[in-house]
Amino acid sequence: MTEPVAAPTIVELRDVTKRFRRRARDQGRNVVVAVDEVSLSVPAGQVVAIVGESGAGKTTVGHLMLGLHRPDLGSVRFEGCDLAALGRGGLRQARRRMHLVLQDPYQSLHPGMRVEAVVGEPLAIAGTPRAMRRDRVWAALEEVGLTPAGRYAPRFPHQLSGGQRQRVAIARAFACEPRLVIADEPTSMLDASLCAGILELLLGIRTRLGTAFVYITHDLAVARHVSDRLVVMRGGRIVEDGVTDAVLAAPQHAYTRLLLAASEGDLDRVERLEASG
Amino acid sequence: MTAVDAPALPEARARRARHGRQGLGALGWTGVAMLAVVVLGAVFAPALARHDPDVTSGLPFASPGGSHPLGTDDLGRDLFAQLLFGARVSLFIGVAAAVIAVTVGVTVALIAGYYRGAVETVLMRTVDLMLAFPFIVLVVVFAAFFGRGLFTTIVVIGGVIWARPARVLRAQVIKVREFDHVLAAASMGASGARVISRHVLPRIAPLVAVQFVRAANVAVLIEASLAFLGLGDPGRESWGTTLYFAQARNAFLTDSWAWWVLPPGLGLTMAILGFAFLGYAIEEWADPRLERARVRRRATRRPSPKRPPNPARRQGGDMATAADRTEPLALEVRGLSVHYASADGPVRAVQDVSLSVARTQVVGLVGESGSGKTTLVMGLLGLLRPPGRLRSGTVHLNGRDLGFPRRSEIAAARGRDIALVPQSAMNALNPAYTVLAQVAEAAALTMDGRAATAKARDLLSSVGITADRHRAFPHELSGGMRQRAVIAMALVNDPVVLVADEPVTGLDVVTQARILRLLLEVRERYRIGMLLISHDLPLVARVADELVVMYAGRVVESGPTALITAEPAHPYTRLLLDAFPTLRGPRRALVAIGGEPPDLAHLSRGCSFEPRCPVAVAECPQRLPDLYDQGDGRRAACLLRELRERS
Repeated sequence: MTEPVAAPTIVELRDVTKRFRRRARDQGRNVVVAVDEVSLSVPAGQVVAIVGESGAGKTTVGHLMLGLHRPDLGSVRFEGCDLAALGRGGLRQARRRMHLVLQDPYQSLHPGMRVEAVVGEPLAIAGTPRAMRRDRVWAALEEVGLTPAGRYAPRFPHQLSGGQRQRVAIARAFACEPRLVIADEPTSMLDASLCAGILELLLGIRTRLGTAFVYITHDLAVARHVSDRLVVMRGGRIVEDGVTDAVLAAPQHAYTRLLLAASEGDLDRVERLEASG
Repeated sequence: MTAVDAPALPEARARRARHGRQGLGALGWTGVAMLAVVVLGAVFAPALARHDPDVTSGLPFASPGGSHPLGTDDLGRDLFAQLLFGARVSLFIGVAAAVIAVTVGVTVALIAGYYRGAVETVLMRTVDLMLAFPFIVLVVVFAAFFGRGLFTTIVVIGGVIWARPARVLRAQVIKVREFDHVLAAASMGASGARVISRHVLPRIAPLVAVQFVRAANVAVLIEASLAFLGLGDPGRESWGTTLYFAQARNAFLTDSWAWWVLPPGLGLTMAILGFAFLGYAIEEWADPRLERARVRRRATRRPSPKRPPNPARRQGGDMATAADRTEPLALEVRGLSVHYASADGPVRAVQDVSLSVARTQVVGLVGESGSGKTTLVMGLLGLLRPPGRLRSGTVHLNGRDLGFPRRSEIAAARGRDIALVPQSAMNALNPAYTVLAQVAEAAALTMDGRAATAKARDLLSSVGITADRHRAFPHELSGGMRQRAVIAMALVNDPVVLVADEPVTGLDVVTQARILRLLLEVRERYRIGMLLISHDLPLVARVADELVVMYAGRVVESGPTALITAEPAHPYTRLLLDAFPTLRGPRRALVAIGGEPPDLAHLSRGCSFEPRCPVAVAECPQRLPDLYDQGDGRRAACLLRELRERS
């Protein structure tokens, strides 16, 4: 798809560790290491899928890339700039070139904002004049299949179905033509008949804009479908990282093999792999 | 709570149904009425009172009569005028102090809750300090220190009572801060001010209203107390000041208490109760959880369903799944229909669904959200809640004809012959008891305590929870382990059928595989039939012997899994199979199913899938397709197939 050698790095994690303090009522250790010495760089135009079980640190990696968390150790660089070195204003500037698509379309849209305002928000934040905003919002709505845009723009989120809401979230994510989009399980709350449409839509827009794309999922089949490169995480660490088809054809790490067996529904192989370690 | 609404008018009911919330309710309107009386008295005081409250207009200590409906005080001033003008002062101080308290409280809550960190620590410790002092003492000290006066009173009261709204609202801000749309805004590079004003504040606005009303309530009360202690503004008499003078002139010891003490006392009571009722009603309106509790209570009276003609006799062979003839049928459902009452007319959630599960057979019930899977199960188990209502259908369980599954009849079998693993049950275990205690409690339905505990231990071990974890509390176990405990709970009374609603949803894939494996083992070991409900067709297809595919409340296809996945007969099943990405074979573009599932309140008389169907013909919207027998154990409800088979 893309030439990783030639493409500039969009976002890069270098030996990043992130710990979270647990609340006192939780038992055991009061510090949990969510991300443990992770290094990962995403070149322009590449689609990276991060897979792993819940608690593997996938979402935290996404949040670190967006500068929503500060790493405890290591650094996060976006387009060559260390996010930690940027001030508040600089970080806000950087964030305007990246975007996030979340899992739950019922929560990710403000219930009191109309679709037009929701999609226009990143433009408003970036300071796009109101007059220009409308055209771009409508174009974005048309692109995600909410046509005619004039019918959907004045609606509130509760007047839309789950699939339509997720389309609004995607329109919002790409409205500013960001350099990086992080999608955190964007289809796992949707019904299968709608899921395929959302996936194809995401891939289509991404290809047109050449956006670097990080797709976080627990579903290996979805990861295979969307990604050039597959990153397998477990317990806050990257256990395998490689070209998607190569990883799936010959998984090197025992956990990847287990994940693949489980995803294929090969219950006997899961048992054998677990028995062997 | 006394809020029991009068029967709602149709349009009011429709409005409520649309918004999902109700108005203020009887309690709220009582509060509004009480406040209205006080406010109207205060506003029209100059018109209603015939004397100046501060000027001698009659004899001192006069009894009610003549132009003094409540008599006069020791200086011959009209007590009725004092009552009306006193309302002005009391209300003004109450509302103004509430404005100050809520403004400060909201600001503190937003800053502390949004920015967290050291700022929060400092602010919240201050709040704790404010709350720890008995506030009336604090107010008395401040009032004495700053002197007497209207504005001093307002500022002092506001300055003391802001802490409670600050604490309550901060908790809400912390909650709202974690909402996805707030996260999304922050990740877009929005400034803190923008996120707070656009995304956080609007979400807590209803609770701010509640806090405002509460603060006004407290402020009126504190002002009365202050004035009664002689710390009010002597120039502007409030109700508290009137009471202070009444006390000072020994009105309590004479008959004059009835017109000197009682009216301002009643006024205060009205204002305070009015604020309290209104606050409670707004809180209930703003918090859907309280609302649901109310609906549930009101719904206890259930209309008795008419026993419908037995559809089993009517339609002989309309079975969704051909049972394995070598095994006896564990569960057989025929012609089950469930409607939900709504403002738009009945929502036909489940229509004429028949299916059967043989012992040791796994039947997968597949469909998207809203296709009626869960409603079907709730209907056949007698667990429907109004407005859901079973319209027709019969249930055979383990060879017994339960007929139309009335709540009382099915309840006897529930947990014994037929067991349910409800959706997300693993997250609904009681956190206060060990898993062993909870499984034993389920076993105690059919046996005494000691036997129940022994049985519970057996089952927990057999579902893969080792003995050292039996006395673990739910939060000490992983999701997979909790789901195992839930399965043990379902098995504890030797059911013949286990109904599992989305048993692996929310678990990661490896745990999913383990739980599915466990379910298959359990099925063999205890020889039970299993109805496995899921939205995930590939997942169900891996473990089910038979599939039942539902769309818009009806079965569209059923039959042996291998046949259906190899060659689906219904276009919906075929599209659904193509909609999931695969792990093997060439990568191909996914085929999205266009459109959206239909509105179950406005179904066409034809095939429900027709609007989304790529191969629909002119007849499809006109005629409802029957579940047509393919001859190989498969049935499909598609006119095309029917036409082709017949030709």
